[in-house]
Amino acid sequence: MEYIKKDLGSYNLHIIKTDKFKTITVRVVFHSPIVKEEITLRNILCDMFMQSSKNYDSKRKLTIKAQDLYATTIQTTNNRLGNYIMTNFYLTALNDKYTEEGNFAESIKFLSEVIFNPDVENEKFKRDKLDIVKTIALNNINSVKEDASNYSLMRMAESYSKDSPISYRMIGYLDDLEKINEENLYDYYLKMLEKDFVDIFVVGDIKEEEITSLIKQNFKFKTVKRKKVSYIIDSPVRKRRLFAKETIDNSQSKIAICNVTTDLTPYERYYPLTLYNVILGGGSDSKLFKNVREENSLCYTISSVTNKLDNLLIIMAGIDKISYKKCLELIESNMLDMKKGKFSEKDIKIAKEYYVTALDEMLESESNIIDNYLMMEILNTDDIETKREKMQNVSKKDIIKVAKKVKMDTVFCLEGVKDEGN
Amino acid sequence: MKEIKLKKLDVSCFEEDLDNGLKIVLLPFLNKKNYFISYGTYFGADITNFTVNKKEVKVPDGIAHFLEHKMFEQPDGKDPFTFFSESGTSANASTSYEYTHYICYGNKEFSKNLRFLLQFVNKPFYTDENVEKEKGIIAEELKMYEDIPDFQLEMRLRENVFHKSPRRIDIGGSVKEIKKITKEDLYLCYDNFYTPSNMFVLIVGNFDVDEALNIIKEELQTVKNKKLPNIKLPKEELSVLKEKDKIYGNVKVDKLGLAIKIDTTPLKMDDITLDLYLNMITTILFGTSSEFRQRVRNEKLLNNFYMEWETYRNYHIFYMMASTTDTNKLLEEIDFEFNDLVISEEAFERMKKVWIANEVKMIDNVDATVSNLFDDLIKYRKIIPNKIDLIRNLSLEEINKLVKKIDFTNRSVVEMVAKEE
Repeated sequence: MEYIKKDLGSYNLHIIKTDKFKTITVRVVFHSPIVKEEITLRNILCDMFMQSSKNYDSKRKLTIKAQDLYATTIQTTNNRLGNYIMTNFYLTALNDKYTEEGNFAESIKFLSEVIFNPDVENEKFKRDKLDIVKTIALNNINSVKEDASNYSLMRMAESYSKDSPISYRMIGYLDDLEKINEENLYDYYLKMLEKDFVDIFVVGDIKEEEITSLIKQNFKFKTVKRKKVSYIIDSPVRKRRLFAKETIDNSQSKIAICNVTTDLTPYERYYPLTLYNVILGGGSDSKLFKNVREENSLCYTISSVTNKLDNLLIIMAGIDKISYKKCLELIESNMLDMKKGKFSEKDIKIAKEYYVTALDEMLESESNIIDNYLMMEILNTDDIETKREKMQNVSKKDIIKVAKKVKMDTVFCLEGVKDEGN
Repeated sequence: MKEIKLKKLDVSCFEEDLDNGLKIVLLPFLNKKNYFISYGTYFGADITNFTVNKKEVKVPDGIAHFLEHKMFEQPDGKDPFTFFSESGTSANASTSYEYTHYICYGNKEFSKNLRFLLQFVNKPFYTDENVEKEKGIIAEELKMYEDIPDFQLEMRLRENVFHKSPRRIDIGGSVKEIKKITKEDLYLCYDNFYTPSNMFVLIVGNFDVDEALNIIKEELQTVKNKKLPNIKLPKEELSVLKEKDKIYGNVKVDKLGLAIKIDTTPLKMDDITLDLYLNMITTILFGTSSEFRQRVRNEKLLNNFYMEWETYRNYHIFYMMASTTDTNKLLEEIDFEFNDLVISEEAFERMKKVWIANEVKMIDNVDATVSNLFDDLIKYRKIIPNKIDLIRNLSLEEINKLVKKIDFTNRSVVEMVAKEE
């Protein structure tokens, strides 16, 4: 695998050459500091890209064009990364070796059409198409409680802090949705093209010269570069723990706990904290899985994840409401054990193995390879070999030190109050 | 060991049946680092009625899934998850109506992990205590699914489309049923259905074929096969139990579910070709590039959409579920598609091209290849090596003949509307 980065003025082109795949994957990443009122706009904009373009003026025509390019796929996603919102366009196309000469170039052209040639007239998106996309968004926002786990995480974040980007609902807001019209959406589109940072990644069996000229031809921005704000959110800790509750007409209750990590060094954030999380609740060999699920039969799902850029470690479980207190006690005592160093060298070794396996596994997936280089680009994270080495050297002392910096802050319970006996 | 070239994909698959009946399928990839191993049995939620020693037995619903959970209990008290973790390997298991399988995947210690996977699945250890303990965990698992509106809709569809089939019941059973499960029930099922001729090993990824085969033989060749009990899979009537139904859920946007029940006996076509044709029909009618999707989108009728085929005995059932602002109108639009249905050449040829491209893409990825081969193993009990040729050979004339023979009106419809607050 060979990595080449090129500064093309208004954006960086990252070329990753590998003969591992029969497909070529391209990802265009737009990123800019997140603004709460703009999340819904971005979602709508993303859906509009996939709704139609100037030359393919319906979703069906777009789909058929992609199918004609030997089942090329284009997808867009919006996600938050710390203080930023990331808008991604993914293209996956078979290498010309398996299709026909020029198919990939045509696919790139198609991606460029989707991004740069939207279905716009007189500087306005089309009303009827916008209405379709808005209706779908409206229904999605209204259906937010259907996924109780996800809803409990949202409510937990809102209870923790109303103002932090952590609490922003990536699904969007009804108030903001109502305000969107054909004009302001187009203005926002222009703003995104002009102000966002852009990185383009290409992975596959490709030639540097060829791909560079292909990308240059098809991606022309006039981006105004600005100074970047930090990706990492400095999350505050409250003095007294907050307990919040909401009821839902379900049979299961969801518990979502927000733990804040304070004063982490970059090393602690990417290495000891990762091991801490694997040992505590990262998988089916973790403390929480064994003690809360296997030993006490209190739940089917329990796990922890680190949102490293948010300085948060989140624990979630699906339980019967009568087990709430016991479950919380067990979680606390397991976290206390971590602080006291009540975990073995073997636990650490296993956690490190998981990490190393994941590093190797990464190389098997084009999108994970891109993620790795994206993180290196925006956060200055270490390269794979350095990661491997640094992780091997993490000591128990390092993990205990991090454990002491993890503070339970907000406990949210989405209490299922459906009558028993169903 | 038989080498089967997967045509047009530059890879080979190796297949062998041991004398005791165990089926082995190996697909090595030289340019990948990771591997995936599945060890499974054709014992799933379908089977709760069978005859052993001339005695008819009915075990509680959800027992196959319960057994899957309990497989991870070992006589020496060692947790299989811990064993796999030591080499950073992940492990899991899953149960469907037709199978239960145990998997591990990683990129280190292939032979050790393969051996261990085979050993632990061959070593059941059930006690009254460990069986009791699992009931709380599984009850929470069942409740988690019960709370999901889409799941409620699917279950009601299943209850309405079938008269007697076990497909009417959730794979996990019910809290009431699983409470009845005893260690004796588990041993009875294990002893009768975890037997070589009812089982398979599937491995995909970076490994050495000879080494893998040797380990499998060492571990499993001497296992004696046991004759399978006589399984009672209830016969189904062609009609659906209930044609129309309405339920209330915690939803803000209504949902529509539809299940079409088709008797495949009169269609007189081999399973694989029939599956390809049926999938082709519904993909062209309702897939992302269909006129239907375009129309209902423009009318703002459709929010999300899901479709799937299922096979039970001589029936193929087509499920469709959607969240929609108007269930009646959406149903009218669906009906419109089945009126004087003719598949166009343009759509047919385009979908063939897409499917062939997807077969090639799949080979890029161990997970996708696994799920493709696994599907074959479950549906046809063998690998289909020439799928690209089969797709290429599908004919427009044939598909339009088939369409005429199918009664798409034999169906069950369920709407889900918001509970009154």
